[in-house]
Amino acid sequence: MELLPQALIDGILLGGIYITIAIGFSLVYGVMHIIDFAVGEWIMLGAFLGLYLNKWTGLDPFLLLPVVFITFALIGYCLQPVIHRVVSGRQGNPLLMGLVFTFGLALMFRGIALTGFGFYSNSIPSAFSASSYFYEQGTFFMTIPSIRLAGLVYALVITVALHWLLKKTNFGLGVRALAQNREAAALMGVNGKRTSSYVYGIYVGISAMTGVLIGSILSVSAQMGPNYTIVAFFVVVLAGMGYLAGVPWAAFLLGLVQSFFLIYLDPGYTMLAVFAILFTILLVSPRGLFAKGV
Amino acid sequence: MRSKIITWSMLAVLALAVVPLLVTDAFVLRILTEAIMWIGLAIAFDVLAGYTGYLNFGHGAFFGIGAYATAILMVQANWPFALAVLAGAVITALCALAAGFPTLRLRGAYFAIATWALSLAIQQLALILTITGGPDGMRLPPFLNPLYFFYLMLGVVAATFFLFWFLLEHAPFGLKLKAIREDELGAQSLGLNPTRLKIQAFVLSAVPTGILGGIYAYWITFIDPASTLSDLVSDQALVMVVFGGMGTLIGPVIGAVLIFAFKTVFWAYLSDFQLLYLIILGAVIALSVVFLPNGLWGTIRNRNGGRGGRETTLASRPKRELAAETSKQNLPGGLKSCAQKEGGK
Amino acid sequence: MATPLLELQSVTKAFGGLTANNQISFKVQPGEIVGLIGPNGAGKTTLFNVISGYYAPSNGTILFNGKDISGKPPYALAALGIGRTFQVVKPFPGLSVLENVLIASFLRYPKRKDAEKHAWNILETTGLADRAEVSAAGLTLAGRKRLEISKALALNPSFLLLDEVVAGLNPTEVDLTIELILKLRDQGVTILIVEHIMRVIMRICDRLVVLNFGEKIAEGTPAEISNNPSVIEAYLGETAA
Repeated sequence: MELLPQALIDGILLGGIYITIAIGFSLVYGVMHIIDFAVGEWIMLGAFLGLYLNKWTGLDPFLLLPVVFITFALIGYCLQPVIHRVVSGRQGNPLLMGLVFTFGLALMFRGIALTGFGFYSNSIPSAFSASSYFYEQGTFFMTIPSIRLAGLVYALVITVALHWLLKKTNFGLGVRALAQNREAAALMGVNGKRTSSYVYGIYVGISAMTGVLIGSILSVSAQMGPNYTIVAFFVVVLAGMGYLAGVPWAAFLLGLVQSFFLIYLDPGYTMLAVFAILFTILLVSPRGLFAKGV
Repeated sequence: MRSKIITWSMLAVLALAVVPLLVTDAFVLRILTEAIMWIGLAIAFDVLAGYTGYLNFGHGAFFGIGAYATAILMVQANWPFALAVLAGAVITALCALAAGFPTLRLRGAYFAIATWALSLAIQQLALILTITGGPDGMRLPPFLNPLYFFYLMLGVVAATFFLFWFLLEHAPFGLKLKAIREDELGAQSLGLNPTRLKIQAFVLSAVPTGILGGIYAYWITFIDPASTLSDLVSDQALVMVVFGGMGTLIGPVIGAVLIFAFKTVFWAYLSDFQLLYLIILGAVIALSVVFLPNGLWGTIRNRNGGRGGRETTLASRPKRELAAETSKQNLPGGLKSCAQKEGGK
Repeated sequence: MATPLLELQSVTKAFGGLTANNQISFKVQPGEIVGLIGPNGAGKTTLFNVISGYYAPSNGTILFNGKDISGKPPYALAALGIGRTFQVVKPFPGLSVLENVLIASFLRYPKRKDAEKHAWNILETTGLADRAEVSAAGLTLAGRKRLEISKALALNPSFLLLDEVVAGLNPTEVDLTIELILKLRDQGVTILIVEHIMRVIMRICDRLVVLNFGEKIAEGTPAEISNNPSVIEAYLGETAA
């Protein structure tokens, strides 16, 4: 019982990071109908860029976030036309091809990273790493590492910024129109290709930044990718594919499940529990917890 | 074309069957046995991926389930191999049914995710259970007869190939699956029950995979989660199918042979660069999607005037008089004007 | 009077707060051609989807040959003899024209040989036989619309739902399609048709059902409907005012 507040707060802090993993991913699915199997690898590559930039410059990873974002947003922006070509091809099965293509990318990125960086695990030191808040009242006590709190703040900032971008700007209007109906959006003067490129760029940028954060909160390694790909998948399926508003709740739920398993049960069973939940959700409500997915 | 493929396939099987009489080198036999296994895994993967349009990232899990079921029955219950491998096939079928029901109600993207999660969960399960030996894996009673395994593998894969050919290229089943792939909603109005067809395809794909897993376990005599349950089985099957040509039977065979040959050469001469294999695998997938969306076989067939890598040729058009006569029973003809109009284009 | 082939009893379909079809009732007698008309967004296609099993009705009952079919899936209805076409034509693009029709033929002819024969007959009837080996994606709009009808016909349906099968065709093609529809009626196929082109509707339909904002506002023979003031208002609306 004494551990309950700790389990809850850990779950919420972890869930915060998961939001940023899944939100861009969900946006890309909503707008471009692409399941990006490489999501975890973007996180991994971003984490490594953060790690090396930190080594070279000595700057705090939080200060490096804009550099990482811009670098990867550019990569994503340049890559999108290739993906577009794959999913809009007349031959084969285009949607399936998108999945296969990003899967191939993921394998390639992982192989390159393993070759270049080896199997070692690292972490990115931050000014926040050392300190933590400690709270105690009677038998209840909990620790909140300030780096994790900073992670949650980052997640909220990203979420709010994305919300603002989508709901309050003309660009966001175009994105939403595109997600609703491609042809109609084109008639209204939305440049589908360009907008998709921006969306994909933003998503890759956010994922890479989240990687830096994960690198300083948890760790960086070349084989970390698939773990986070599965997180993105889980959150997005639970939220309902392409339904952004469901993402935070699903992310917190996953965070809580993981922290409860870690504290109360055997962490070895976490993956099984996650799959059991996924399985049940798909069985009961295939369009996610809120039945609002596409 | 149809009969040609069957003739060539039979010749290929016969040619393979005489190889051990000419070559006694154990290494060559071993390589051939494994290549044949991969052909089986690739065509089984293609039933779902190419014909039905569903990517099963849990394909490796069925291989592992077959391997573990066979191993557990042989080691713990002392069952003979033949019985154990058959029971393994049944268990794989049951697992496919259980996994298929919730996941196959989902559209393509969800399905890929769900099956991948399933395979991770099964990996995890094999690691923590005691009956599977956890990360240490399991040892099977050794039976060191390379020829036995070569012919067993060849027999099972050949049987699978001809069964698939009959079901997918000859019987209505294959076309029905393709209808699901092309337009699942529209297919329903033509009397097709997508969930049922997809589950049939799923089981059809899983059972040979499980049997091959069982044979593999007995052949290699040692299995652990890393060798039989890792993503590499699904990943390689995917590369072989995409590279060779999805939605055909010949494509995956070509893909399996080429990729496996490459892998063998690669590991033989470049084993210091194991990670490079992962990169090349990824690059081959990504590049063939961009430049060979129909795979090698599909592209070759298109070049030669075939359509979309299809292997089926349909019965030719009946004589017009005959057709008009029979159609009177159902739908009187008399719409010659329509016929001429559309035909004249 | 004989049992109607199709009977809708206050069928309602709502999506969240939006009611696309509200308490719609009408009957279709065997051998009739009934037109379903109404301005854009009146709920015609939704009603088609409800009748053909793509949506379950939120309320109300659908009887086919006197049996309750509400909420049955499309493939079960196809087996009962209900064929339909889609407004946005959906051929299986990666398959040939013949294969498209063949897939539908399997329902009545499980053996491949019989199914192939049946499919060829259908293609002869609808005039696509010469294009049978072409990929369905390579057909013209008129060809695709005809393929859509061919697929529905291959089910040997007793009841056919046609959703805008002449929209977008040139006058000659329109006449050919009308000829085909009338032929089908003469063979005893009952037809419910959605169409915007009044010339077609007035010429082929025995009766019309008019929808507006999800409600049935009128029902009757083409002559009665064309003089019905509420229909005229629904169609001409603001311009008349």
